[in-house]
Amino acid sequence: MPTVLLIDSLVRSLQVGSLYALMALGLTLTLAVVKLPNFAHAELITLGAYVALVASFWGLNNLLAMLVLCFIVTAAVAVLSYKAVYKPLERRKPSIYTMILASFALGLILRYVLFLLVDRFDFFDKRIKIPLEIWYQSKTMILTNIFFWVVPTSLILIILLSLLLNYTNLGREMRALADNRALARVQGVQVERVYYFTWILAGGLAGVAGALWGIYTSINPLTGWLAILSVFAATVLGGMTSFVGTILGAYVVGLSENFVMQLLNHYLGLDFSFKPAIPFIIIILVLLFRPQGLTGFMDGFRTRAIRRQTNP
Amino acid sequence: MTIDFLSTGIALLTFFGISALMALSLNLEYGVAGIPNFGKALFVSVGAYTAALTYTYLLPLLAGKTPIYPCGANLTDALQLRTGIIREAMGIGLLNFLLTLVIAAVIGGLIGYLASYPALRLKEEWYLALVLLVGSEIVRILVRGYEPIICAHNGISGLSQPFVALGNPKLASFLFALVILALVALVFIFSERLIHSPYGRLLKAMRENERVAQSLGKRITRTRAQIMVIGSAIAAVSGVLFVVNLGFASANDYVVALTLDVWVMVVIGGIGNNRGALLGAFIITVLDRVTAIAAIQLDQIGFQLEFTYIRFILFGLIILLMLRYRPQGLLPEKPLTTEAHSLLKTQAQK
Repeated sequence: MPTVLLIDSLVRSLQVGSLYALMALGLTLTLAVVKLPNFAHAELITLGAYVALVASFWGLNNLLAMLVLCFIVTAAVAVLSYKAVYKPLERRKPSIYTMILASFALGLILRYVLFLLVDRFDFFDKRIKIPLEIWYQSKTMILTNIFFWVVPTSLILIILLSLLLNYTNLGREMRALADNRALARVQGVQVERVYYFTWILAGGLAGVAGALWGIYTSINPLTGWLAILSVFAATVLGGMTSFVGTILGAYVVGLSENFVMQLLNHYLGLDFSFKPAIPFIIIILVLLFRPQGLTGFMDGFRTRAIRRQTNP
Repeated sequence: MTIDFLSTGIALLTFFGISALMALSLNLEYGVAGIPNFGKALFVSVGAYTAALTYTYLLPLLAGKTPIYPCGANLTDALQLRTGIIREAMGIGLLNFLLTLVIAAVIGGLIGYLASYPALRLKEEWYLALVLLVGSEIVRILVRGYEPIICAHNGISGLSQPFVALGNPKLASFLFALVILALVALVFIFSERLIHSPYGRLLKAMRENERVAQSLGKRITRTRAQIMVIGSAIAAVSGVLFVVNLGFASANDYVVALTLDVWVMVVIGGIGNNRGALLGAFIITVLDRVTAIAAIQLDQIGFQLEFTYIRFILFGLIILLMLRYRPQGLLPEKPLTTEAHSLLKTQAQK
């Protein structure tokens, strides 16, 4: 296999994996803290991408300002969707299928409102106006400014989020809620407040990821919907509620969609039209045979290490 | 501005019948037995692909001709072979159609049995919803990329309904609508009897509390598998009717949106009530047809509105409003009554 293709697919894996990590962390947060598989997360991603696009067409070309704007808008929409849709439903103590259906319905509404607007103003398949520059070039590899924006931004956000979760009161409360809701409530955690912060974080991260996605490729109102099952694959692979697991899962999904797909195409002649099936197959295999995902391995290591410490 | 009311009515009945079959199958699975089938599109598509295969291979064999591989260079030859046989020999067309229904039901049931396998092993209840959703997308992507079934992304055409041989399109579509409605009646009666039998009470017990049903010695996993088989067979039959009515099979018709449409029907009508499923199917079909006709009429007078988008927004709103204000649906499920109940009542009166 030509090294150019190999390295190119690895670079793409890294880029896509970082974005999936951002998207999947938001999904994992809502799943762990609010206990809701939020399929409308897809539309928050699309919304973020379009906010950035419109801002760039209006002449905003400072990327940092753009990302902050996206974070604010999508976080607001996420909080609003919780307040208007999920919270009133939750009062009835519905089955989880009701909540899944509601998230589908909310996603449907957001997606097609976006479709209406995008159609009216002709924003189909546009890219965010950021001039493309080549920052690094060698015989086998070209890295653009976009790569240097996408990957470090994602990593910084991931680190910030992990600091927030591990070293602040809010983070501790979120983890407590994720672990045991009743116990957290008894300990005096203000559940509503933590929920709102969770939605802000989840929505904002989705928006930022969407904006970065829009810098990386062209976008349309289906962007988020097409990505959401890959994002779910990352969350599932991470064991549904694990922070580190989700990040690992995102990179594994990114790698298997790009790098492994490239290998399969080159050596087995598998057509690229089968690429979207890869994350789906990951979801099914993991849920069937390893529902604890990647976390199981790490827990296994940890308990083994502890056992070794306690009885040498 | 003329609307052909007769054809519109027949089309409405046809679409109603097909959606009603899908809604009845989902109502049996989710409404009665509590299995969250978010992969309905998959089981519907099984019927469509079966029809595509029988029309290319079984139909020529029944007519005593050799089948032709339907894609690539032979595309027009195979199409002419299919349409020629259906036009000339109605008996063969009908026989092929009936056999297609039976084969689709069998294959659909088989796939339903396979799909029930994860239901036995998943850790949390909503994982099954995700597995079925994702499974339906996998199959769609595979079929879209794999030529021999429906010529990959090109789709396959000329899968017309058997009555076109009569030469009168209106009569043909009327007869076809009658066949569909007869099937709906059959499935409705079957499903009603099933729900009101002791087996139906087992299903409801399973929906309400699996552990309790299990502790009474009921085999939950086997019952779940049985319901998936029945529901998927019905869905596959509706898939055959769907594709034969359209005359064209394309993998892009069987997306998550189709699954959601069926869910909307069941949620509107009333989860767990077959009459509700029929009502939901009727409301959604009328809504769909009316908006489609209105869109065409408005387009003619130069007023463009994207009804496809508005349709989906409307459906989303309907789901949210129903879930919030009337989660039991328009026709709520009736409480169970058995002979024992009425006996108790009469005794109490004495």
